[in-house]
Amino acid sequence: MSGPSEMQRREAVRIEGLSKVYDDGTLALDGVDLTVYEGEFLVVLGLSGSGKSTLLRCVNRLIEPTEGRILIHGEDMTAATGRTLRRMRSDVAMIFQQFNLVRRHTVLTNVLSGSLGRSGRLGSYFLRFSEIERKKALEFLERVGLEGRDQSRADALSGGQQQRVAIARALMQEAKLVLADEPVASLDPALRHSVMRHIEGLNRDEGMTVMCTLHDIDLVRRYATRLVALRAGRKVWEGTADEFDDETFLEIYGQEAEPAAEVA
Amino acid sequence: MAAVPRDPISDVQQRILERQNTPWKKGVRRLQGLFVDAVLILLVLLMLEFLALAFSGRRGPTGLLLTPEEILDRLTYPWLALAAGFLALVWNLFYRAIGTSPGRALVRGAMKEEENLPWTQTSRGWFSVLLIQLTFFTGWLVTEVQVVAFLTKFSKAQDIVRGLMNPSADVLHQGLILLVQTIFLAFMATAFAIPIAFAVSFLAARNLTRANFWSRTAYLVVRTLMNLTRAVEPLVWALIFISWVGIGPFAGVLALWVHSVAALVKLYSEQIESIDNGPVEAITATGASTLQVLRYGVVPQVIPPFLSFTIYRWDINVRMSTIIGFVGGGGIGYILKPRVDLGAWGEVGTLVILIAVTVWMMDIVSAKIRERIV
Repeated sequence: MSGPSEMQRREAVRIEGLSKVYDDGTLALDGVDLTVYEGEFLVVLGLSGSGKSTLLRCVNRLIEPTEGRILIHGEDMTAATGRTLRRMRSDVAMIFQQFNLVRRHTVLTNVLSGSLGRSGRLGSYFLRFSEIERKKALEFLERVGLEGRDQSRADALSGGQQQRVAIARALMQEAKLVLADEPVASLDPALRHSVMRHIEGLNRDEGMTVMCTLHDIDLVRRYATRLVALRAGRKVWEGTADEFDDETFLEIYGQEAEPAAEVA
Repeated sequence: MAAVPRDPISDVQQRILERQNTPWKKGVRRLQGLFVDAVLILLVLLMLEFLALAFSGRRGPTGLLLTPEEILDRLTYPWLALAAGFLALVWNLFYRAIGTSPGRALVRGAMKEEENLPWTQTSRGWFSVLLIQLTFFTGWLVTEVQVVAFLTKFSKAQDIVRGLMNPSADVLHQGLILLVQTIFLAFMATAFAIPIAFAVSFLAARNLTRANFWSRTAYLVVRTLMNLTRAVEPLVWALIFISWVGIGPFAGVLALWVHSVAALVKLYSEQIESIDNGPVEAITATGASTLQVLRYGVVPQVIPPFLSFTIYRWDINVRMSTIIGFVGGGGIGYILKPRVDLGAWGEVGTLVILIAVTVWMMDIVSAKIRERIV
């Protein structure tokens, strides 16, 4: 395992016995235990429907877990309510497969919405933010290579650009942890690395811990520092990118799956 | 990709299922299904008896054939209700032999082996078809459909039609003035309705009111209140408000306002229920407050359809305000009613044309504006 030994590393997220049963009876997560350490780029693998998205959404309680406990930096997320819940959420940024921008708002407003967790002021209801926040937002837009686009409507941008706005929004949130749910799955393959590199930037330059679900094995090997695999809602494998070989691949995805050419 | 083999049922799932399927809840669902079946079977029995009586040639006290009202009065309701209850019970007890009953299928789903069968192979399929057929034939008799009169007796309406075709200019001036009042009346009713409907619609949207007990209660209260309000015709509201604030356009404004609030809440909340949940998730994830989530995640998505619905509502209100005038709620209907009663068909014709042209124009304008917005 690369980096300092586990003993020295501080826990960013600790998940204990996490289960989720949806109202229709579907079992999405079945007693998952998982620890994510600070500074990690953890990739969650698994087939569609294996519970990856549910796992990420339980971490910031977009989905209520049925059973189990989640600690974020030692604080119990599952027990948090009201103000505490909101404060804890503001420390966890999220990037989505469908970008989830407010389409009719400007790019700038979308980035600024990342700061909503800390600005309960009346102005936010009129889309007004302080000059300091605006400056920050413009700076983040520049960092993701979208300078000059701040007044465009969000839906006027291409998919790759929209996802970069979402990354700027995550930067604006000044979170310690980033959840990325298939961040490049709806993008053109040619644009995937550009977006992934920005997420890598959040991890390396901003020191944010990243929990990311990915489909593309190629990307997994390139960006992950550690991997976790889910299958039918259970954790079935855990290890580093180096340990992830063909055999493991078949174990996770089933015998009929075919590893990508690069893996062989 | 390989299908992932899954354990038949896991521990957590088992625990959840037990929590959901308490004997009490099971019993309630069984009763619901039974009740639905009893009602449906009762309807079938009633209509069968109705048709039997109608074709029996039996005569009433006046020596004439029974009228539909007289038949409805003579049906053996209590006995049929008992029979229906009994049959429903039998169907629900022996559903394995007979096939899933409609009520059971509605409340708990059909049996596995029936799931993919066409309707011709299920008992509830045949039952539904029988129900629909009976309803149509009974409806034909109850509403006294007279095809012959409709096709041959047009001449009796000739006077009216001739009058309408030859509008008189006498009421044109007064009609135009009241037409302006009608349009404003509809506009004010809509304008007053917007802020209230907007605020209330968030409480009437299922997807925003799942969070806790209070929001679920608010949802139920608002929905019920709005359904009741909508169920009362604007004409009745007009009568209430005429006694309240006196005859005149303001009573009409209030009547249409109440109805518009209820109608807009329904349209608005349905729109809120169909939004893309993505932005809501994204804004929630930033740690925003509930109101901020509404402001950023919901409002931007619903503004264009809300505008479109509102203009459509104004359009409807213009139409309705002509009727509101019939009972004294102001607008052009106020001078239309006495002329209908007097049979002054020429003047009625003028007013009808004025209304038709206005409604038509509103239709075009509102369609154009809505096109631009959405």
